[in-house]
Amino acid sequence: MSDRKARLTITVDPHLSAYAEHLVETGKAPSVSAVFNDAMEARIQRERRQRRLWKEAAERADPAKVARMMAHVDAQAAALPKR
Amino acid sequence: MSEDSGATAPPYIVDLSVAVAVARFDDSVMTLIQGYDARGQSLVLPVLALTGASLDVRTEDADDLLEGLERLGNAEVAPLRDAEQAARLAAVIARTGLDPWDAHVAAVADAAVCPILTLDAPKWRQHSGDLDEPLHIIEIADPDEPRD
Repeated sequence: MSDRKARLTITVDPHLSAYAEHLVETGKAPSVSAVFNDAMEARIQRERRQRRLWKEAAERADPAKVARMMAHVDAQAAALPKR
Repeated sequence: MSEDSGATAPPYIVDLSVAVAVARFDDSVMTLIQGYDARGQSLVLPVLALTGASLDVRTEDADDLLEGLERLGNAEVAPLRDAEQAARLAAVIARTGLDPWDAHVAAVADAAVCPILTLDAPKWRQHSGDLDEPLHIIEIADPDEPRD
């Protein structure tokens, strides 16, 4: 992936725009673009962490137990009245 | 999708007990859910069930796990969208005496005519006749483990 910055035109809620500009005016961020970058980076990290937690659960689970549970669910689903 | 009939399986409505199991990092339930998601089984997450689960556990990890549940490819949150749905939920609470978390599950299952996926089948059996149409229940359990 190229390191070159991409130019985007986005529409944001007024209070978010005002907050981003406030961060720039008070020296907390170098630019509104940097605020957007930071927010997206934080979201990526959060989603990565969520995926990791779900992956860890799958790695820890007892496959035989899960298979029995799924078979139990499938048997009940098969017995439901057809829609 | 059923392989033999070609019929589309109805979405499963995830109830509070399942959402709480996810929030508590129950690896068996989470792996089962991921297995169904991988199969293409639709899961509906009533938003108040997620609220109840978040309230039950109250940790950042729990909220991350619940957000991860929402991010599964075949999961969709059922919101409380408008005044009509709010009034319908109130009517279900009044008829069943269920908590709002469970009542939202019942309201979604009743409106969509879809089964409730639960770890607490006895609770739902108790309420399955409270609405005009019976609620259908699918219990998550390990048949090899003794019941409490």
